[in-house]
Amino acid sequence: MDLDSAAAILVSGLVLGSLYAMMATGLSLIWSTLGIFNFAHGVFMTLGAYIAWQVADGAGLGWGLAAGIAVGVAVLVGLGCVAEQVLVRPFQDRGNLVLTAVITTLAALIFLENAILLGWGPRLKQLPPLVDGTVSIAGVAISAHEAVIIVLSPAILLALWLFLKMSRLGSAIRAVGQNRDAALLIGVPVSRMYMAAFGLSAGLAAMAGILLASIRFLTPTMGGEPLVKALIVAIFGGLGSLLGTVAAAYIIGLLEALSTYFIGLYWTPAILFAIMILVLMVRPSGLLGRK
Amino acid sequence: MRTLRPLLPAFLAVVALAAVPLVVQDSYIRHLMIMAFIFAVVASNWDLSMGYGGVFNFGHMAFFGIGVYTFAILGRVLDVSPWLALPASGLAAAVAAALVTLPVLRLKGIYVILVTFAFGQLCLQIVVSQSEVTGGTQGMVLLPPLRIGDYNFARDGRFAYYYAGLLLLIASTVYLRGLVRSDFGRSVVALRDNQDYAVSRGLSLSRQRLLLMMGSAVFTGLAGGFYATYLRVASVEVFGFSLLALVLSMLLLGGICTLYGPILAAFALTLLSESLADLGAWRFLIIATGIILVMRFYPGGLWSAVTRLAGR
Repeated sequence: MDLDSAAAILVSGLVLGSLYAMMATGLSLIWSTLGIFNFAHGVFMTLGAYIAWQVADGAGLGWGLAAGIAVGVAVLVGLGCVAEQVLVRPFQDRGNLVLTAVITTLAALIFLENAILLGWGPRLKQLPPLVDGTVSIAGVAISAHEAVIIVLSPAILLALWLFLKMSRLGSAIRAVGQNRDAALLIGVPVSRMYMAAFGLSAGLAAMAGILLASIRFLTPTMGGEPLVKALIVAIFGGLGSLLGTVAAAYIIGLLEALSTYFIGLYWTPAILFAIMILVLMVRPSGLLGRK
Repeated sequence: MRTLRPLLPAFLAVVALAAVPLVVQDSYIRHLMIMAFIFAVVASNWDLSMGYGGVFNFGHMAFFGIGVYTFAILGRVLDVSPWLALPASGLAAAVAAALVTLPVLRLKGIYVILVTFAFGQLCLQIVVSQSEVTGGTQGMVLLPPLRIGDYNFARDGRFAYYYAGLLLLIASTVYLRGLVRSDFGRSVVALRDNQDYAVSRGLSLSRQRLLLMMGSAVFTGLAGGFYATYLRVASVEVFGFSLLALVLSMLLLGGICTLYGPILAAFALTLLSESLADLGAWRFLIIATGIILVMRFYPGGLWSAVTRLAGR
């Protein structure tokens, strides 16, 4: 293996890892706060990307990519809050919330996927890259767009981490996740925190979808495959651990790039699945998950 | 007579279903009923693992899909007789169930959901990628139909397929009912309700769970094989979100742990879903909204409503 292909594998692994990290932290955030799994997370990505396209592209409003990103993320934050109200809130006090939430979020997935199909049609669309051209790092040329993804994603995740650690709202969200009753007792508005976590997670999904849509095509079902990858990442890292999830995202991204290069694209999902099973057999709550 | 009385409604239902093709000549209605038979088998077997066993198994539709593709590959690629390929699809599904259950034996709750769900997606990706054998996203067509001698089951307005489907549903329901009432069924429920106590009384969680998952896969795989020979196509949609959600909603709307509820809901939802087929994508918007509304307002499922009416 020469230097160029090594660099190509590294870059592709880092790009994948960055995207997976943004998607999987959103899933993980909802899991650790509400204790449910959101199957609509993938379609939130898709919808965010379509809204950004509608605002940014000449065939839509044509306001440019920056406006597209802003509107896409903002709409999805709002939609996330609504989704919590419709899909989770009414079932909060039932016995098997986990199971009920699976079916309601699956229903939301089907609803939104078909609504996108009705609204935008099945034709492929593509978002423009964030920046054009290439940059050269240590003698290896990579596309500027991929470089931006590699830098932007950790920055967003760092901001998320600071928000959860430092701000009052972030602390309150974490408090609800750690102990709902105690949080209620000290006066944290628990249901509003649930909504905030859902909105935040949907916003992250939209951002990930927009970045993904600029390297792949937009289709109504584009969220399905990344959802499964994010799921593998979230299990691998241990649900509820932000650090574990991010670390797992980069590990899985690099493994996927390596496996695609050496073994082939088709067997990569099976290999990732096998790795996930192995990790779970040794550590049933994930790499860095709590018991 | 007294001991047979609880079986009366089931007996009447079977007689009514058996009489349908004699009354209704329309082959489209028969087609809907055959699809309902298939989904009733799949949903009620799912109830065995999810409802009675309490295992959050989201790989159930993968067992169905494995049945479909086992039949398709044996029947179309290897030219095996459909009468052999059909039991083979049930067997393949049971083997797959053992494979997916082994890694989840130690896991709990959400992790079981995620691993079994990922297993289904893995099957989908393998089928798509091995396109020389499976046809990839194009699927496989012209699968062998069931025949006895020269008589194709699809003749006379699908007459023979109707009774074969009904027979499959009856066999599956008798099997499930027997299993649930056996010592094995009680041990599985005991493990679900109070795992520590059941284990301390000498039950093996791993063994019972493995048997339970394989037991719920056999008829599911058979139904998959029957689906493949009846429709004569195999497509990757059997592993997709839409079918998963449709059958899962049969299970939940019918009421878990009721056995007959999912069967009833399978008929209701198959007829509803097919009657909306002309609406295209709107159909799924309506079904998805319906699922959320029923979950909201009838948490016990359809069967609880039926038994409440019958109890009056």
